Amino acid sequence: MSEASGKIFALARHEYRSAVRSRTMAAFAVILVSATLVSVYVSSVEYAAQLADYQTYRAAALANGLPRIAPSPLAPLSLLRGALEYLEIIGAVIAITLGYLSVARERSNRTLALIRSRPVSINEQTAGRLIGAVGVLSTLVLATVVVAVAGVGVIGHDWLSIGQVFRVVLVGLAAVVYLGIFYCLGVIATTRASLATNGLIVALGVWLVVVLVLPQIGDTLDADNQVPGGLFAALGLGHDGEVTILQHFVGYERTRTWIEDASLTKHFERFAFALTDVKERYRVHGLGWLINETKADLAWLLAYALALVAGLRHTLRRQSRTASSTTT
Amino acid sequence: MPDPAIEVKGLNHVYDDKPVLDDLTFTVEHGEIFGFLGHNGAGKTTTVNILTTLLRPTSGVARVCGHDAVTDRDEVTRRIGYLPSEVRMYGHLTAQENLEFFARLSGVPHPAQAAAETLAYLGAEHLAPLRVSTFSTGMRQRLGIAQAIVHRPAVLFLDEPTSGLDPQGVRQLRETIQRLNEDLGMTVFMNTHLLSEVARLCTTIGVLSHGQLIYQDSMAETTRRFPDERSLEDIYVRVEDATP
Repeated sequence: MSEASGKIFALARHEYRSAVRSRTMAAFAVILVSATLVSVYVSSVEYAAQLADYQTYRAAALANGLPRIAPSPLAPLSLLRGALEYLEIIGAVIAITLGYLSVARERSNRTLALIRSRPVSINEQTAGRLIGAVGVLSTLVLATVVVAVAGVGVIGHDWLSIGQVFRVVLVGLAAVVYLGIFYCLGVIATTRASLATNGLIVALGVWLVVVLVLPQIGDTLDADNQVPGGLFAALGLGHDGEVTILQHFVGYERTRTWIEDASLTKHFERFAFALTDVKERYRVHGLGWLINETKADLAWLLAYALALVAGLRHTLRRQSRTASSTTT
Repeated sequence: MPDPAIEVKGLNHVYDDKPVLDDLTFTVEHGEIFGFLGHNGAGKTTTVNILTTLLRPTSGVARVCGHDAVTDRDEVTRRIGYLPSEVRMYGHLTAQENLEFFARLSGVPHPAQAAAETLAYLGAEHLAPLRVSTFSTGMRQRLGIAQAIVHRPAVLFLDEPTSGLDPQGVRQLRETIQRLNEDLGMTVFMNTHLLSEVARLCTTIGVLSHGQLIYQDSMAETTRRFPDERSLEDIYVRVEDATP
C-alpha cells in the first residue's frame, strides 16, 4: 500500500468506525430497518394471499387441461416500494446527519488541527471521507435491502430470482450515490456554518425542498394524478392516448417536468421504480430497455454527485486556508 | 551549517484589517526548548498556526528545518508534532486507536507498533485499551503529547500545554518535555503563561507583545541580565513595561 493510499484508508476507516460507534447513527439505522420491515410485512401479507389465489387458479387450470394459462400478474419486486421510499426520505436524513456528525465531531474534539498539521493533502482528505461515508451508506442500504428481500421471501412466500436480485443490486448502487450526495451536503453546510447545528438546519432545509416539496409539486400538477387510479386509465386511454392528449399542454408539461427535474429524489425514484416494477407499464420490458429509458435520470444523479463532490473538495480546501485565522 | 530548527523573518499577519503579527523575526536552534511568552492576543497562537502550516501569513517567511511553511507544506508537516491547547482527542476511540490513526496520517510504516511504543515511552501503556471518553484532563493531555510524537518529529509545538492540568500533571508534563528533548533530541517550541515552568524548563525565551518580538535570549543570560529580579514573572513584567 502506498503512503497516499494508506492515509486515504486511515481516514476512510476513521469515518466508518466513528459512524458505527455513534448512538445517533445506530438509532437512525434501527428506525430505517424497522420502517422497511413494517412496510414489507404489510404489503407481503396481501401479496401472499394473491399469490395463493393465483396458484390455486393455475393448479385448477392445469388439472382441467387448459391450453393457455395466464401468467402471474403479480410483481414481487414492487413490494420493495416502501423500502425505496424510506431510503429516499429517511435515508437522506441519515446521510445528512452522517455528514454533520463528521464535522461536528472534529470541532468538539478540537482534532481538526491535528489532522491538518499532518502531511495529508486535500484530495486525500476528500477521498478518505467519501470512501468512509460510502462504506457506511452501503452498509445501511445493504441492511435495508436484505431485510426487504428476505421479507418478501419469508412473508410473501415468493423468493426473488437471480435476475430480480441483480436489479435490486443496481437500485442499491444508485441509492448509495443518491445518499452520498446528501452526505456531501451535510458536510458542506456544517463546515461553512460557524455553528455546526446551523449547518445541519440549512442541510435539512434543502432536504425538505428536494425530497418532499419539489416532488410533491410535480405530482400535484400531474394531470394523471387528478383522479384516484389515474385520469387516463379512468378515461380508458392507454399510454399512447395520454401522450397524444398531453401534446396539447406542452408548456404546462414542460414546467412540471422542469420542477420534477430539479428534484434529485425524483431522478432516483424514476430509476428505482422502473427497475422494481413499481410502474406497471415498465413491467413488460427487459433490463436493457429500462436502463436506456431512465438514462437521463442516471445522468442527472451522476451530475449531482460530481457537483457535490467538487463542492466538498472546495469546502475542505477553503477550510484549510481560513479555519485558524481567528485565533491570536 | 545546518538550517535552524525554526526561522521566522519579517512575518506579518493581518486579520480583520488589524495587524496580528508585525514584522516578526526570530530563530530557534536545534535542541532548544523555546518558551514563547506574551499577553493574551499578542500573536503567539497565530505564530504557531503559521509554523504548523495551519494558517497562511499575509507576508514574510516562516521556515521549519529549512522548509517553507507555505510553499513546502508537506516537508514541514513531516518534521513537526503539534499539540493545540485543550485538545480532547476522539472519545469514542481507545488511546491505541487514536494514536494508530494519527500515525497512519503521518505515514508511519508500522502504526500499531509505533502507537504502543509511544505509550510505553510515556509510561501510559495501561491507557492503550481504554476509551478516551473515560479519561481525565491529565490523561487526555498525555495522549495529546503521544499523538504529537508518535511519528518522532524533529520539532514539537506545544500551545498552552499546561492549561487545565493540576500541579501533578504540570510536573509530569515538564519531565516528559525534558526527556523528549534529552533522549530524542527534539526541539520544543512552547506557548505558555506558566512562567515558573518556563524558568525551570526552557533554554531560551522570547517575549511577544502586540505582534512584535520585544525580547529573546537564553534563560541563563536572562537571569544574568536582570540580577535584581527575583523571578521570571518579575523579569517578564519589566520587559513588557519597558515596551512603548
